[in-house]
Amino acid sequence: MARRGIAKQVTLSLLLAILTVTFLYPLYFMLINSLKSRTEYFVNPFSLPRGALQFENYSTMISQFKILNLFKNSFFVSAGTVVLLLVVCVFASYVFAKYRFRGRTAIYLAVLTTMFIPSQVTIIPLYVLFSKMGLVNRYWSVILSYLALFLPEAILLMTANFRAIIDELLEAAEMDGCGYFQRVRHVVVPMGRAAIFLSIIFYFITAWNDLFTPMIFLQSMDKRTVMVALAALMGRYTGAPTLQFAGLLLSAVPALVVYIIFQRHIIRGLSVGAIK
Amino acid sequence: MKRLFTFSLLLVFLLASVAITLSSCGGKKEAVKLTVWMNGADSIIGPTEQQKPQDQWYVSQAFRRFEKANPGVTLELVVQADQGAAHTNFKTAGLAGNAPDVANLWTGQPIFALKEVILSLDKLVPADDLKYIVGWESVRDGFKPDGTILGYPAAQNQICHMLYNKAIVKKAGMDWEANPPRTIEEFDSALAKIKAIGVTPIVVDEAAQGVPWFFCWVADYWWTQMTTNDGILEETYGRKKFAEDKGFLATLAYYRSMYVKGFFRKDLTTANDSFTQFLNGKGALWPAVTSFLADAEKSLGADCGVLLPPEFDPNAKLVNSTVGGPGQSFVVAKNTKYPQMAVKLISFLNSKAEVLAAQKINRYPIVRTDVTPEEMGWVPGSNIAKLHKYSTTYNYWVDNLLTSGPAEIFYTQTSLVAVGKMTPLQLAEAMDKKAAAQ
Amino acid sequence: MTHTTRASLRDSAIGRKRTRIKRLEIFLSLLPVVLILLVFRVYPIVTALAKSFTNWDGLYRSDWVGLRNYVTFVQEGTFWMILRNTLILLLNVPLQVFIGIVVALLLYERVAGWRIYRAVIYTPQIISAVIIGFLFKIFFGFEGPFNAVLKAVGLGTLAIEWFGNSYTALGVIVFSIVWFSIGWQAIVILGGMSSIPPSVFEAAVIDGANYWQRAFRIVIPMLVRVLEFSIIASGVWTLTQLFPFLFAMTKGGPGYETSTLDYMIYLKSYGLGFGRDYGTATAVAMILLLLVLALTVIEMRLANRADDWG
Repeated sequence: MARRGIAKQVTLSLLLAILTVTFLYPLYFMLINSLKSRTEYFVNPFSLPRGALQFENYSTMISQFKILNLFKNSFFVSAGTVVLLLVVCVFASYVFAKYRFRGRTAIYLAVLTTMFIPSQVTIIPLYVLFSKMGLVNRYWSVILSYLALFLPEAILLMTANFRAIIDELLEAAEMDGCGYFQRVRHVVVPMGRAAIFLSIIFYFITAWNDLFTPMIFLQSMDKRTVMVALAALMGRYTGAPTLQFAGLLLSAVPALVVYIIFQRHIIRGLSVGAIK
Repeated sequence: MKRLFTFSLLLVFLLASVAITLSSCGGKKEAVKLTVWMNGADSIIGPTEQQKPQDQWYVSQAFRRFEKANPGVTLELVVQADQGAAHTNFKTAGLAGNAPDVANLWTGQPIFALKEVILSLDKLVPADDLKYIVGWESVRDGFKPDGTILGYPAAQNQICHMLYNKAIVKKAGMDWEANPPRTIEEFDSALAKIKAIGVTPIVVDEAAQGVPWFFCWVADYWWTQMTTNDGILEETYGRKKFAEDKGFLATLAYYRSMYVKGFFRKDLTTANDSFTQFLNGKGALWPAVTSFLADAEKSLGADCGVLLPPEFDPNAKLVNSTVGGPGQSFVVAKNTKYPQMAVKLISFLNSKAEVLAAQKINRYPIVRTDVTPEEMGWVPGSNIAKLHKYSTTYNYWVDNLLTSGPAEIFYTQTSLVAVGKMTPLQLAEAMDKKAAAQ
Repeated sequence: MTHTTRASLRDSAIGRKRTRIKRLEIFLSLLPVVLILLVFRVYPIVTALAKSFTNWDGLYRSDWVGLRNYVTFVQEGTFWMILRNTLILLLNVPLQVFIGIVVALLLYERVAGWRIYRAVIYTPQIISAVIIGFLFKIFFGFEGPFNAVLKAVGLGTLAIEWFGNSYTALGVIVFSIVWFSIGWQAIVILGGMSSIPPSVFEAAVIDGANYWQRAFRIVIPMLVRVLEFSIIASGVWTLTQLFPFLFAMTKGGPGYETSTLDYMIYLKSYGLGFGRDYGTATAVAMILLLLVLALTVIEMRLANRADDWG
């Protein structure tokens, strides 16, 4: 690494630094505006707050808007989706990656094809279907919708990753008497954990931030997710933007936490040798 | 054997008595539960309320009052995050048979399109309501005075106007409180005077909201002065042509000339900060509806004025008016189990007492003829009182007259005419093509 | 057991039982996936396909009209513009992949401050598209900061109305998508790099390869499968999930100049709350589906590496 030109290194570092600043700017924007009064925001959205800092936006969010309750709903949906997604995906991807059977390519491609369907189109038939199943306004409707949406992409990711697992490891495990579940537990999951952690990050955050699906399927006030509730704060004619920013900032926290916890593990796999 | 027999008899007795008690429970007055969808931000629930806990909102308290007056009834409030999507949701829920008993939707074509899943209220609306509430034409199918009643106009009214900055106008040598521009020529020269002192006359985000703001709030009035609402209806139903509508073409031509003369900001179709600019004195006028008055008055104080649109055609039958009216409605789903109770609730929300209570929180010109501005506590001559004068003489929202085909073109492409990317005739022809395909 | 070959295993009774167990494993592993997708994806899309040949208004009107929806839509003056927009926006994919690789390499090599960068790069993905769209719109607005900077450095002639014209608006949107996606690309690639044994790198160093040679000749070929994933996933995202961004930034405008097929589906089915045009909306969705399939097939053919999928 020392052999690379210092100039090159400095330029790259500088670019990364600039990039980092731009990445953080939206959070900064929401922060300064969440501390302003509504009229002050309309007058200048980019200045630092001039009047008294409106911490009430945050206290309102917690005590009166009951954002923690909304977190609970979002969490049930996001965590439920991720857990089920992992369970279904790991086994399916393992089979796609390491087993040979007739029709494997066909089924794999068929699964992938469902990825290409935009969700706006399936939402109405799904609503009618869930209505007949009595699942409207239950978490299951959103979880199942997300599962159907995320499965193909997650399988694509995990299969790509699992294929890199060295066959000899699996054979060795089988020779040692490991059954199917044990092979998954002792070989596939540890070796494929990059893809697993990536999936946890992607799909938890995608589900957490999604507006469209829960807006349609979870309408009762006590089951609304955070993003849906916050969207109701801005209409075409009126709105409470500063309050909304406080809420958005607060709801970014769990997503960031999930990311920070799991992203360390993705790179940790670097130094761990594969052949023990 | 005898024991067994006695035992069985006892058991049967027990079961019978339990069954009888249970069935008599069902005979008592059944609990009535109504689900109500409310617009989250643009209607009865205002921005200031969502800062309070839900049970302190005006609408929640109104519900409690209703429940108290009608024991056995519970109301479940559902806030719709996106009013546009609410219509599609209502439609889908209606298809599935579980649309909410009462829903707060828009008026006009949006609910006409849903009439297959909306309950007709012809036989259910009390006569007093028909008498004292304004705006029924907006909820009657086809806007006909005898059309099926599809809902109630919601208890508030938006009136279109232009907010203006008195200080800038004064600097340009005018006083619009004493002498507002009332003809299109006066308006034109007034804007030119403002431009002459170096201030952008009209700041507006013409496309940022997906709706051409200036055109919808102001120019639509000019259009309907010449063509009348009925004329526009004929065109949207395909019986007449937009391309032959002289009023429409003339309005569009003037709209384009306003841009050419520099009366609009240059980035008309891509801007999204016009309200901010207006509040900072960088623009003289900003087209608005009543909801924005409070924020504008807070920022500009005494410098905040309201200007009603000038007359494009002084010989028109429609004068001294502006676009507005009940843009929101309350509808009842066809699949409701309690139609009378649903109507009773809506009637309650529109009652004089409730309207007065609601207005304490959200100021709008109101839809009842038996409420005076004094009762509302509005100072005569104040901006809100000025707007209130139009609460019975408004001209119903022109863009809600359009059916979805022409509406799609109108909403997405009208702003292009201002910047010259499309000619008025091209816009009209595109709308005709859609109207014909319906 | 350890001395018998696979073939004899298969032939014996134990071998046949093994095969049966394996078949069961395959079946049960794939069953949940197939079921979920059939019920919640295939069934709705088949319904949608059927509806695309009708004049369905979302409610009870549903008369067969054959290919009319498709024909009308393709014949609308805006169809080719929309198609063009959709394809131009796809240019973001190679850009984000390239930058993503560079960033991933830098993080892998632990450039100064890498921990901070790694923690921060995913942030845009966590922020709602509405805020991102709003900020980009202001930033590149006619009177916004970007133009102000251009004027300040004397490039005033370039300070145009970025969102006012099709190509420049699309350019800004591509830029914003790349900005938004760098973090995602980088961690996907890092994830892929984590399964490359360090011995490969060590061997390369011994062989005397310098940094860039190591990076591009060795690492990238090993990442092919991961890159294939990220290219397909970002391509599909651009084609089917871009809607919130477009809505926040341009609303598909001016006019239809930045509308895509994905956006048109929204407009036709939800547009302003009373879209009656579900028949056309589903037809557009079918057209989009065909487009995506076509592009993916092309991509897979181009990336035809030797592996046992073919």
